[in-house]
Amino acid sequence: MIHNDNKQTTVIECKQLTKVYKGHKGLLVGCSKAVCALKNISLSVSKGQIIGLIGPNGAGKTTFLNLMAGLIFPTKGCVTVCGYPARSIEARSGLGYMPEYPAFLGSYSARAVLRYHGALLGLSHKAISLRTDKSSQQLQMKEFIDRPCSGFSQGMKQRLALAVALMNDPQVLLLDEPSNGLDPVGIIQLRDMLKQLRDSGAAIVISSHRLGELEKLTSDYVFLYRGEVISLGDRIVAGQAGRLRVELVSNGNDIAEKLLSPSKILGVSDTELEIAVSNREEVPDIVNNLAKGGARITGVLLQRENIEDVFLRLYNERN
Amino acid sequence: MRAYELIKETFCKKRYILIIHLSWLILCGIFCCFFSMSASEFGRFIFLWGGCFLALALSAGIFGDDISSGRICIIVTKPFWLGELYIYRLLGLSLQAAVDFILVWCIIFILHILMRKVSTDGLALWLFASWLLFNTCAALSTSLSVVVERAYNALILLVVIVTAFIVADPLMEYLKEQAETGVLVSFTRFACPPFKMLYEFAGGEYDKNILTVVRFSLAKSVACVVHSLILTVVYSVVGIVLLSRRQFSCRRD
Repeated sequence: MIHNDNKQTTVIECKQLTKVYKGHKGLLVGCSKAVCALKNISLSVSKGQIIGLIGPNGAGKTTFLNLMAGLIFPTKGCVTVCGYPARSIEARSGLGYMPEYPAFLGSYSARAVLRYHGALLGLSHKAISLRTDKSSQQLQMKEFIDRPCSGFSQGMKQRLALAVALMNDPQVLLLDEPSNGLDPVGIIQLRDMLKQLRDSGAAIVISSHRLGELEKLTSDYVFLYRGEVISLGDRIVAGQAGRLRVELVSNGNDIAEKLLSPSKILGVSDTELEIAVSNREEVPDIVNNLAKGGARITGVLLQRENIEDVFLRLYNERN
Repeated sequence: MRAYELIKETFCKKRYILIIHLSWLILCGIFCCFFSMSASEFGRFIFLWGGCFLALALSAGIFGDDISSGRICIIVTKPFWLGELYIYRLLGLSLQAAVDFILVWCIIFILHILMRKVSTDGLALWLFASWLLFNTCAALSTSLSVVVERAYNALILLVVIVTAFIVADPLMEYLKEQAETGVLVSFTRFACPPFKMLYEFAGGEYDKNILTVVRFSLAKSVACVVHSLILTVVYSVVGIVLLSRRQFSCRRD
C-alpha cells in the first residue's frame, strides 16, 4: 500500500474501497454468484508519481482503474480525483483514461476520432488541429491518421487511444495494459512520453503484466491479489535490493543465530546463508560483521531481486 | 463543436444508416408512382413507417453498441454532462427524420406536379404527426438502449409495438367499457407512445374539438402535440437519469 504524506500534492485518494459485483439469477442462462472484486483498498497517488498496478489475472486491477475513472461505483468507500469525487465533471476534467481494448467508430478515421474527442473535451477547432498534429508526430500516427479505424491493428488502436487520453494534458492518467500490441519502438516512445508526463507533474497509474517495462518507469507498485493489496515486503524493495548469498566453510546455523537478526535471514544451511538486503551499500558491512564474528567466508554473491522475482515470490507464497 | 460532433455521429455511426435513408425515400417514391393512393392513405403509410419503424431503425443500438464495444468507456471519462450525450444524439435522430420527411414532401410535390397522382392536401399534417411520433419512439428506444446492450432496444420495442397492435388494442377496447379499469386505460393512453392520438390528430379528427382543463380551453390538437412533446421529454429524462447512474464495463464482447 502506498501512502503519501503530502496531502497537498495528492491527486488520487482511494479510501477503504470495496467493490462487489452482484450475482444474478438467470432465467434462460445460468445464474452467477456475487464476486468481491476489491476489498478495503486504500491508496493515494501524488503529482509526478507513477504507480504500477500488478497482479495475476482476475486480481481486480481493471476494476480498480475503472473505479478511479468513475466508470463504476464502489460498493463501499470513496475515490477522489483532484479532490473531487470520481465521475464528477471536475474530476473528469483532469483525467486521461485508456482502456485495455480501446474501441472507436469503424467509419471514423484517426483524425476524426481525435476531432470527436477534442470536441467532447471542449477544445476549440484550432486547438484540436494542433493536438492532432502533435499526437500524430509523437506517436508515429502519420501513416494511418486518415485511414478508417475499422482496419486498425491493436497497436494502431493503442496509439490512437493514448493520443485521445493525452489530448487534455491530463493531471491524472489511467492506463490499462498500454503496451498491448505495441511494437518495440512504440513501447520505447510510450515510456519516454510517460516519463515526460511524470516530470511535468502528472500522476500515472498503469496496470500491466509487462513487469520489465514497468520496472523501467517506476519503483512504486501495488500488488493486487484476489481483490486485496499485498505488501511487497519490507525486507526487500523491488529494483534496489536483493538477497546476499554467503558461502561458508561450516557453522552457518550458529553464525546466523549469533550475528544476524531473524528478519534478515532468508535461508540458512551449514555452508550457506541467504540474507535480505534492502540496499547494496549494506553488503560490505554485512560481510565485515560476519568475518569479524568468525565466519570463514568462501564466496559472496548478491542476487538483485527485480519486480518479476517479487511478483513470483508473492504469487507463489499465496498458491 | 461538441453538439455538432455528437449530432453528426448519429448519422456517421453505421454505414447502414445511409442505406436506411435511401431505402425510405425510394420506398416512398415507389408507393407514390405505382399505387393510386389518396393523401390520407399515403399519410397513414408515412405515419406507420416513418413515425415508428424509421425511429426504431435509426436508433437501434444508439447507446447499446457503444456499451457492448466498450467505446462508451472513453466517452464518459470526458468532462461534460452526460445528458448532453443523450440530448444531442436524440436531436441528431430528430434532425435526420425531419430532413427525411421534408424530402418525402418534396418528392410527393414533384410527383404531384409531374403526374398528378397524389394530392398533397393534408399531407403536411401527417408528416408533422409522423415527426412527433418519431421523436417519441426515438426517445423511448434511445432510453431503452442505455440499459439494453447492442441493438436489441429496437428489436424489443418492435416486438412490443407489434404485440400491442395485435393483442393489446382489442383488449384495451374491451377494458374501456369496464368501469374498474379506467386507470389502466388512462395510463396506456397517456403514458405510452401516442400512436392513436397522433393518428387521429393527423387525420383531422381534433380540428373542431375543444378540450377544457379547469379554466383553460385548448384545442385538442394542440393538447395532442403538447402531450407528445411531454412524452418525448419524459422518456428522455428517464434515459438521461439511467445514463448518469449506469456503470460501464470496458470488457469487449
